[in-house]
Amino acid sequence: MNEVTVHLTVQHQPRTMIIPARTTLADLLRDHLGLTGTHLGCEQGVCGACTVLLDDLPVRACLTLAAACEGAEVITVEGLEGPDAERLRACFAEQGALQCGFCTPGMLLAGYYLVRGRQPLSREEVCQAMSGNICRCTGYNAIVRAIEAAISQGIEAETAPAQTVPRSSGAPAAGTEE
Amino acid sequence: MKPAAFDYHRPAGTAEAVRLLSDLGDDAKVIAGGQSLLPIMNMRLAEPAHLVDVTGIAELRQTTVDASGARYGATTTHMRFEYQLVPDVTGGLLSRMAAGIGYQAIRNRGTVGGSLAHSDPSAEWPTVMAALDAAVHVLSVRGMRRVPVRDLLLGFFSTALEPDELIVDVEVGRLPASTRWGVCKTARKPGEFAESLAVALMEHDATPRIRQPRLWLGAAADTPVRLAGTERLVEGHDVDAVTADDLVVPIAADLGADPGAGDPAARYVLHLHAVTVHRALRAVHEEVSDE
Ligand SMILES: Cc1cc2nc3c(=O)[nH]c(=O)nc-3n(C[C@H](O)[C@H](O)[C@H](O)COP(=O)(O)OP(=O)(O)OC[C@H]3O[C@@H](n4cnc5c(N)ncnc54)[C@H](O)[C@@H]3O)c2cc1C
Ligand code: FES
Ligand code: FES
Repeated sequence: MNEVTVHLTVQHQPRTMIIPARTTLADLLRDHLGLTGTHLGCEQGVCGACTVLLDDLPVRACLTLAAACEGAEVITVEGLEGPDAERLRACFAEQGALQCGFCTPGMLLAGYYLVRGRQPLSREEVCQAMSGNICRCTGYNAIVRAIEAAISQGIEAETAPAQTVPRSSGAPAAGTEE
Repeated sequence: MKPAAFDYHRPAGTAEAVRLLSDLGDDAKVIAGGQSLLPIMNMRLAEPAHLVDVTGIAELRQTTVDASGARYGATTTHMRFEYQLVPDVTGGLLSRMAAGIGYQAIRNRGTVGGSLAHSDPSAEWPTVMAALDAAVHVLSVRGMRRVPVRDLLLGFFSTALEPDELIVDVEVGRLPASTRWGVCKTARKPGEFAESLAVALMEHDATPRIRQPRLWLGAAADTPVRLAGTERLVEGHDVDAVTADDLVVPIAADLGADPGAGDPAARYVLHLHAVTVHRALRAVHEEVSDE
């Protein structure tokens, strides 16, 4: 039983993997699927570089056994798509929210969770919510600004179209994107 | 680093899980959220030969509620308490404590049963569950038993659980509407383990008077500590009349520490506990006057 078989989806694609039981989700992604966007810093849960979405929630891929992901849906930085992801990437670029880029995948995943929440957050609250992701380069200010901006843009996008959609067009109701 | 090799078992029910634990003996470890066990395994401080993953067991995720309180399944995650996806029978205390644990990504996987079984005295669940006089229901091939959390926690990473026992759920009594709570966690940064962790419970009073306080302190000894002497000292006083300085001597007595210690680091730690308990006490009254 040293080897296990796991069925999961990665970026919406079903996969069946036969792997040693000790394989973490991070190692499954990096070594078995070549998805090296998920970074490994500490392997103790502290740095957040390995953050991925597991069934829509951010988790530490270094502290998740791949074997425990039976039936789960995994999204990594490579598969982060949709308007919120676009917004966040654009804001990171505008603010210069990365230098070496090591922390960036984890920052994007943790930030995406906040942007998707559609909750207005104070700067202090953004800092608190991002406190589980360590950056050795930027000093955090640009990252926090980028996430604040993406959160605001997400909320605006949700409320603004309501006024601009012509009544007769049969366009989707306010708040439905894509 | 990576964990050493092990055999992985994913039982579908509790009976199968405890059978495995009994058959595999000392070489087996339960794994729930893995948020404490996997860091230790990644550092090769633990190398269990078998892991019994209990997160596939539906009954461990269930919560039952009645008039007297709730029984939260052992694998209920911190996140489910935080967002009150399970009913909170303590008027928000469980939710508040859960929200203070680590980071969102940790709370999405870490479980209440795992935290109690891990018995880290700086952790949130041991202190608040001891304060609430909660109990765990524990299953083995020998049957079920009920263990009050105050008896479960024996020391740093040490509990009254036998190696083949599984925590099935945590029983928490409903807090009466007349009971109010306040908490304070002191840590270097959000998400770190507490340097001091205080839970204050008391009876509601329209005045700022402290009535029937129950004060518990985590991160101060090898298990959560009830501050019985400090409770007697503050009983009946106006919360505004009590200062953090007033609390240093009684807290030191409750901890068996010397408030006049020559070592400035030891005096600093006592002061930190006093400030943390003071803030928890004040938080009770802030909640009340908010209404
Ligand atoms: C970076 C980081 C920061 C953290 N910060 C905090 C914090 O601020 N406060 C805090 O309280 N915690 C913190 N934690 C710990 C976290 O809360 C863990 O989730 C928790 O301590 C253990 O729960 P688990 O489900 O992950 O247990 P696991 O890691 O799976 O198991 C822990 C132990 O409990 C045993 N066990 C698990 N479930 C059962 C069961 N049902 N019956 C019997 N034994 C069982 C296992 O065998 C193991 O010995 C942090 C962790 C990390 C990685
Ligand atoms: S590598 Fe997972 S948190 Fe650092
Ligand atoms: S950009 Fe280098 S660690 Fe964050």
